[in-house]
Amino acid sequence: MSSYILFLLLGLGSGAIYAILALGLVMKYRSAGVVDFGHSAVAMFIAYVYFGLRTEGKLELPWAILPHEITITGSEMGNAPAMIAALLYAAVLGLVMYLLIYRPLRHATQLARICASVGILLYLQAIAVLDFSSNPKSVPTILPDSPLHFAGVIVPVDRLWFAGLVVVLATALWSTYRFTRFGLATRAASENEEGAAVIGLSADRIAATNWVLATVLAALAGILIAPIATIQPASYTLFIVPALAVALVARFQSFAIAAAAGLILGMLQSEVTKLISVIDWLPKEGLPEAIPFIVIVVGMTLVAKGMRARGEIVVQRNPSLGRPSRPYVTTAFCFAVGAIALVLLQGSLRFALISSFVWICLALSLVVLTGYVGQVSLAQMAFAGVSAFALTHITGQLGIGFPFSFILASLAAVPLGIVIGLPALRLRGVNLAVVTLSAGLVLDSLVFNWTWFTGGLGGTKVGNPSLLGWNLGISSGNAYPRVIFGIFVLAVVCGIGLLVARLRRAPAGRMMIAVRSNERAAAAAGIDVNRTKLLAFALSSWIAGVGGVLFAYTQQTVSPPTFEVFTSLGLVAIAFVAGVGRIGGAVFAGIMMASTGLFVTFLNREFNIGKYQLLVAGLLLTITAIKQPDGVAANPPPPLVHAWKWLEARLFYKSETAQASSTVAASAGSEH
Amino acid sequence: MPTDVAIAPRLEITGLDAGYFGQPVVRDLNLQVGAGEVVALLGANGAGKTTTLETIAGLYAPIAGTIAMDGSEIGGRATHKLAREGVSLVPESRALFNGLTVREHLQLARTGGNDLPTDAVLEMLPELEKCLARKAGVLSGGEQQMLAVGRALVGRPHLLLVDEMSLGLAPIIVERLLPILRRVATEMGTGVLFVEQHVPLALQVADKAYVLSHGRLVLEGMAQRLRGESELLRASYLGDEAAEKITALPVGDRRNGDTEALPPKGYEEPSDRGAPDVGDGLGSETDRGTQHT
Amino acid sequence: MDAEGLTEAMPALLRASGLQVSYGPVIAVDALDLEVREGSVVGLIGPNGAGKTSAIDALTGYHPASSGSVSFDGEEVTRMRPYKRARRGLGRTFQSVELFDDLTVEENLQVAADHLGIGRALRDLFLPIGERSRDDVDWALRLCGLQDDAERLPTELSAGRRKLVGVARALAQRPRLVMMDEPAAGLDTDESAELGERLRTLPAAGVSVFLVDHDMSLVLGVCEQIYVLDFGKLIASGTPSEIRSSDAVIGAYLGKQEVASAN
Ligand SMILES: Nc1ncnc2c1ncn2[C@@H]1O[C@H](COP(=O)(O)OP(=O)(O)OP(=O)(O)O)[C@@H](O)[C@H]1O
Ligand SMILES: Nc1ncnc2c1ncn2[C@@H]1O[C@H](COP(=O)(O)OP(=O)(O)OP(=O)(O)O)[C@@H](O)[C@H]1O
Ligand SMILES: [Mg+2]
Ligand SMILES: [Mg+2]
Repeated sequence: MSSYILFLLLGLGSGAIYAILALGLVMKYRSAGVVDFGHSAVAMFIAYVYFGLRTEGKLELPWAILPHEITITGSEMGNAPAMIAALLYAAVLGLVMYLLIYRPLRHATQLARICASVGILLYLQAIAVLDFSSNPKSVPTILPDSPLHFAGVIVPVDRLWFAGLVVVLATALWSTYRFTRFGLATRAASENEEGAAVIGLSADRIAATNWVLATVLAALAGILIAPIATIQPASYTLFIVPALAVALVARFQSFAIAAAAGLILGMLQSEVTKLISVIDWLPKEGLPEAIPFIVIVVGMTLVAKGMRARGEIVVQRNPSLGRPSRPYVTTAFCFAVGAIALVLLQGSLRFALISSFVWICLALSLVVLTGYVGQVSLAQMAFAGVSAFALTHITGQLGIGFPFSFILASLAAVPLGIVIGLPALRLRGVNLAVVTLSAGLVLDSLVFNWTWFTGGLGGTKVGNPSLLGWNLGISSGNAYPRVIFGIFVLAVVCGIGLLVARLRRAPAGRMMIAVRSNERAAAAAGIDVNRTKLLAFALSSWIAGVGGVLFAYTQQTVSPPTFEVFTSLGLVAIAFVAGVGRIGGAVFAGIMMASTGLFVTFLNREFNIGKYQLLVAGLLLTITAIKQPDGVAANPPPPLVHAWKWLEARLFYKSETAQASSTVAASAGSEH
Repeated sequence: MPTDVAIAPRLEITGLDAGYFGQPVVRDLNLQVGAGEVVALLGANGAGKTTTLETIAGLYAPIAGTIAMDGSEIGGRATHKLAREGVSLVPESRALFNGLTVREHLQLARTGGNDLPTDAVLEMLPELEKCLARKAGVLSGGEQQMLAVGRALVGRPHLLLVDEMSLGLAPIIVERLLPILRRVATEMGTGVLFVEQHVPLALQVADKAYVLSHGRLVLEGMAQRLRGESELLRASYLGDEAAEKITALPVGDRRNGDTEALPPKGYEEPSDRGAPDVGDGLGSETDRGTQHT
Repeated sequence: MDAEGLTEAMPALLRASGLQVSYGPVIAVDALDLEVREGSVVGLIGPNGAGKTSAIDALTGYHPASSGSVSFDGEEVTRMRPYKRARRGLGRTFQSVELFDDLTVEENLQVAADHLGIGRALRDLFLPIGERSRDDVDWALRLCGLQDDAERLPTELSAGRRKLVGVARALAQRPRLVMMDEPAAGLDTDESAELGERLRTLPAAGVSVFLVDHDMSLVLGVCEQIYVLDFGKLIASGTPSEIRSSDAVIGAYLGKQEVASAN
């Protein structure tokens, strides 16, 4: 019995960190409407700053390549001065980040801010790896950790200190927000910025202050956990997932709930670790990570309310949408361009082009879901993965032949899509994003860990598709990658693109956009909001499933890491900054996406950016989110617009081109 | 209260162009509100009334022209700064904080100076009393409107801008609210500029009225005088077709648009529009001077 | 209730009996009985906070009735979800407008006119049904005088126009009964009079009207039958002339001036 209690109490350590991080997340959301995925990355970076000061008296600066260390004392620093200096540093960093990044994004969509913060996450993580290497650094203790006898067990007393600190912080925040004018003003300004302005409150200054405080909190969490967790870039950054889940339980609103939920989550995880060692039918892999999220996903879905009552309507900006004007002609044109490119490119670039086609397909799945219905899903890669693995079984064990295996496997993602869509009937916006993130994580750690399903880390081989004995596969003998395979992928992707383009103007698309704009009004127009959302999830997961199957054919071996939830996050981020409401955005996203895509392959070959890849990706992501909050495809670079106009005039010598204003040209151009 | 009332009007707008993305929808507007004066801004739907008010309150920067309060230029300054200097707007959207209670609204609107206590606001708007602890988001439309007005009064504004004064209010409430505007103006020396769709009502409470049509001032005059002129008012609402009738009026009330700028859609240039009005749609300074005495 | 004799022949399209709506301790609508007959224009007035919007919310399913029942076209709909009532022909507009800001005015109307279930909408994606009929959309656009704004986004319109888009969207659905929550708020006097004219033509087009508004010349002008709520309770009902001369209504709602100006 006592060992169960011991594990519970040990969990208070990580629980406290989740709680403190979540408190900061709640603050940032309540004041600036930002769900900051980079929150724990900041905690990680400040922990390094503290470490640098404490051990060597050096101040670390947040960049790489350029000189990034300033020697201050040149020798060890005391704990208190190092900590104070690091917290002040965090305050400045927080202010700078708010002014440079989140302030310009105040009127942008929720997703634009999420993307910017994902960029920061990547950037800070890359810097940490470059500047401090990924080796864990251990830090001398900060809080007293003498053993304490408690209920028959011996626990390190720092765990209790942690818990106490969380309670104090949460109480302080709660009472500030509840009773002070500053707190009232923060609540007001986040509800209605115009309203705040007309009574003389500067929403900007209020948000900046909160942002600084929240960053200091993140820093505090980062520093305090250092002695028990050792500082390490990846694991630190990943604290964001449980912290987000905790903030979700608190609805990004309540400090008290965030504090309690954080502590409980920590204890629960720790207890599950204990249980696994005792109960042997429990899966050994992934359960401690998964259990809390299963609880959260199911719990949140059950307690959430359906349609919003009066006074709960939040006006939120949605991603801007394109209006494809000539879907058929444009698709034919794209097919032609793609086919020519396939023939012209050779070797690794041709492979990269084919990979990009596949990513376009995956990005298109987001155009339907995030673009048209405004639902953020961080589980797209899980859909793709289920289809990819389903393909291995359908062709392998069941021995079903090509066109049917393709169709069946892509449909395999649909039930999962609908299940993950269920929370969307009750949750919206960031809440839904975090639930899908958690769901994705559960799939990662459980389903994709079933060896019988995935074939383990090594993965499973996939045979080439062949139609009536005609090999369509990527390789045949020495020929690799084959043009015919590229044409096959291109044709499928063009078909999907056409479908998504037509959807925009079709009744189903209008229903979806109506739902994303205003659910109450949609119901008044006779639209079944729930089924429309589920339809979108079904369509989107099917398209992602098609992407997954194409992925499998391209890679020839499928293995779990490809479909990680963080790849989904990257996909959402890139698809968004590329323009998630437009087909053109998906195309652009496909070219830019990930290390297998065309853009990165090209850069690597020409400039060998290798180890700076993440750094560059993070910076680009953040800058694009700020500069093009509606997506690149909404305002394509002028040369592209001109080129498209020129082509359009040649291709469809229509009289209406004469009257095409610049906006029409822009939206037409964006189809490319 | 300021003593320089006699020197500069509370609000003076000259040659204002206002609109969106650099495209003016209100053109060449000249308008004055004195301290303690209640002025109505009238006009058909889409005439540009909201655009005007929001530009004065700093939600949009003016495209051209000047906006001065008590003689100093305020055009283009941030809304929250203007609010602290006493420019109080009741926006068309009301812009309430849905999650805050009525009481919290009234507390938060305090500027720390000589504010109206909650009781004084409730005395003017007794309907809010029973809602004090309710969140603004759940109030009925009319209650929200009353709260928006109440919130704007808390800081004893120098300049009160009310968009759609009687929107969603029951007749009996409107009947009570209009005298409140008057009271605010006389007791606090506030300059009040309000938009109202119900013209007879507006003229009943206002000292002076301006009528916008398609973004241009087409009629301006003392309310007392306009009260009897329902035909003229109606005509001016319809806009430029009315020019003929307007020119038929005594000089002090004759207003029409700048004939040189692009006419709005469906606009037909009246053949006999007088040349003297070109370039100065508002008449001369002396006109206005005589009007106000 | 005397007015009922006039329209006795027509069946009741919408009927509420003993309807109660409460928000926690606040009782917004209390034991309300009302009836709208096919082909009629019925008004509901009352002071601010009397419970008019709450009544509409309960009748259309946006807020559950805490007791009482609602039937539409002879069918009990008290627990039916809003979109289903809308499909049965019970349309509504919102006091706070609530448009689809990402769709143009015309698309806003088209969504309402489509009347497609999910199944048909999905099938249409893969096997196009063909161009949707635009008759209802054009009719509604014309009726509300919005032809010129058809291609614009609602966010670019002035408040009055937005209100009309809301009305047009409810009409594009071709409902059998449309419940309008303050359609004339923010309209200028002419627009409001014009709206009155249009509302009067609706019964002939097969649309009965239930109107909530504070514009007395509109309500008294177009309604055949008017109900008056105060503090959630029905305090009067009858024809416009009966309402205008009711002391209870003057005291609670109209005020002396309004009566004077209306006469
Ligand atoms: N955000 C915007 N972008 C572009 N045009 C706009 C925008 N807001 C308003 N307009 C246009 O400016 C004109 C004036 O609008 P405004 O809202 O000022 O009218 P209004 O007089 O207040 O009308 P109402 O009585 O209906 O409120 C209208 O033609 C409207 O379409
Ligand atoms: N969720 C809620 N909690 C508490 N009170 C509420 C809630 N929702 C509405 N009310 C109250 O119920 C009453 C009735 O509101 P309702 O919106 O139905 O009034 P209304 O007749 O439409 O008024 P108006 O003419 O001003 O629009 C109001 O006093 C309102 O404050
Ligand atoms: Mg307006
Ligand atoms: Mg109402």
